[in-house]
Amino acid sequence: MSALLDIKDLKLGFNTLAGYVDVLKGINVSIKPGEKVALVGESGSGKSVTARIILGLLQEHRDALVSGDVQFNGQNINTLSPKDRASLRGKDISMIFQDPTSSLNPVFTIKKQFLEVLSRGDEKLSRKSRVDRATQLLGTVSITDPKRVLNSYPFQLSGGMNQRVMIAMALANHPKLLLADEPGTALDVSVQAQTLSLMRDLVTQNNTAVLFISHNLGVVREFADRIYVIYKGNIVEDGPTHCIFNNAQHPYTRALLAAVPRITGTGLPDVPEVSDEFLAPYVGHMQVS
Amino acid sequence: MVLRTLLNRLLISLIVLVGVSMLIFGIARVIPGDPARIALGPNATTEQISKLRAEMHLDESLPSQYFHFLIDLSRGDLGTSLYTNRPVTLDIAEFLPATLELVFLAGIIMVSVGLPLGMLAARYRDSWPDSLIRVFALLTVSAPSFVWAVILMLLFAFYLPIFPIAGRISDIYEIERVTGFLTIDTLLAGNYAAFGDALRHLVLPAVALSLSGIGQAARLTRSNMVETYEKPYIEMAQAYGFFPSRIARSYAFKPSLIPSLTIIGLDFAAMLGNAFLVEAVFAWPGLSRYGVAVILRKDLNAIMGTVLIISITFLIVNIIVDLLIGYLNPRVRYSTRGSA
Repeated sequence: MSALLDIKDLKLGFNTLAGYVDVLKGINVSIKPGEKVALVGESGSGKSVTARIILGLLQEHRDALVSGDVQFNGQNINTLSPKDRASLRGKDISMIFQDPTSSLNPVFTIKKQFLEVLSRGDEKLSRKSRVDRATQLLGTVSITDPKRVLNSYPFQLSGGMNQRVMIAMALANHPKLLLADEPGTALDVSVQAQTLSLMRDLVTQNNTAVLFISHNLGVVREFADRIYVIYKGNIVEDGPTHCIFNNAQHPYTRALLAAVPRITGTGLPDVPEVSDEFLAPYVGHMQVS
Repeated sequence: MVLRTLLNRLLISLIVLVGVSMLIFGIARVIPGDPARIALGPNATTEQISKLRAEMHLDESLPSQYFHFLIDLSRGDLGTSLYTNRPVTLDIAEFLPATLELVFLAGIIMVSVGLPLGMLAARYRDSWPDSLIRVFALLTVSAPSFVWAVILMLLFAFYLPIFPIAGRISDIYEIERVTGFLTIDTLLAGNYAAFGDALRHLVLPAVALSLSGIGQAARLTRSNMVETYEKPYIEMAQAYGFFPSRIARSYAFKPSLIPSLTIIGLDFAAMLGNAFLVEAVFAWPGLSRYGVAVILRKDLNAIMGTVLIISITFLIVNIIVDLLIGYLNPRVRYSTRGSA
């Protein structure tokens, strides 16, 4: 099966006042339709910017230099016109953010924002049918009183509620690819787990491919079919989830695995900030497909 | 809810008014010079002066004078102006509409030009429209309004006589006075030519008065919006492909307007005071000019009346701004406390 998203030798740098900064040093990522893939790394490793590049947002940033291929559904996002890129957003590609409450506009109701997202999918849809559709979609994320939620402002809802709203919005237009940038990290752990399993069920039903960006291998284990480990702008190891967990080869992946805090009370795990070992060459696990 | 907020605000405003009146009452009497002597002129006899002083209760203690003032005020009597020899209420009724007309139009210009300029600058941040608008805003803020009044008058009334040079309306029109607002009175009289003429007289002073406000509003809106553009909910709107112009006009503008509004409201009210120099340049028979004239003559009753009416306008504008913020900001609207 051909890939839905195929990133080849993607490089990104920023021109800053202090000079040129290298952020991505040529990464390769590929996602098949309906596949759930995780991109794991520490803060500053370049995972969030990758999502912004797939959305075509960073290409429009004046100080960002993007090179390489980002093939999505047969189009190279890097060479598309800004207008064509914008037409992919919210329709074929959508995104879920870290903190649901601050990702929703504080001065507009959920309804207004939801209807705007729906009209991205079909501009001709009447207001009435968009309201019906939003109500129905909120039902799919187990919101029992969609009417009240639609007429609420984000600050009137709990974080978990807002996250459900975000998930419903993200899947409203049946995107082919969902980017989840540390979804729910701002929520407490139990709510995060609930919303994540909800999200997993929905993307499986809709056959939506997911790029799940996280710093937490534990969260990713339950979710992803395949994992890419990114360190300082390089993919250091990738492979099926069970391979990464049972047979990690790269020193950085091993350090990450060791860094998952455990309940047994051995104290905080000790991970060196920088280690020469982490710069070891890339390890690719064989794909069993 | 709104009613409670309103009542709360009115009560606070009343307290502020009492404070302001006491303060001005005291200050006006501390300024050196005998108001009775100034009013009667150099040739007045001592008897005449002491008679006027007794009439005005000037020989009594300050609290007792204030008490007399309050009793008169409760009857709607602000006393007689020593400058115009007419009741102060009449003077205010004559001069206030001219100033309000000017300030209202200036306020409308300030908001309808300043906010879109700021929005445009933030939307095209760091590109040429932004630079242009920033230079313009800085220019307007850095020169006082009377400088703009003189420049505008020279350019558009003298060299290019597009607008009338001074006054409120041409002498050829006889308009019956109903509200004192010439733009309204001319319409009430059905005299559209006179309305156009009054409006043309308003343009230059109003623009001159509004310019620094435009710059202020544009700068404020820009900086608030630039900050808003960094917020996750704007990134979300971009990630979902909302149109950039729509993001600017609605998703980024509305959250940014709320903090700007308080300052814009204050700017608007401050125009009442700034209007003086513009009124002086354009020979505009308004309250600000009257206010300065009576202060220079130590016309106690007229000073009190003018300051009170300006304070009341200030407070009303503040209440309107508070209500507007409550309307725009759902957090305030839905807060359970009631007072915002």
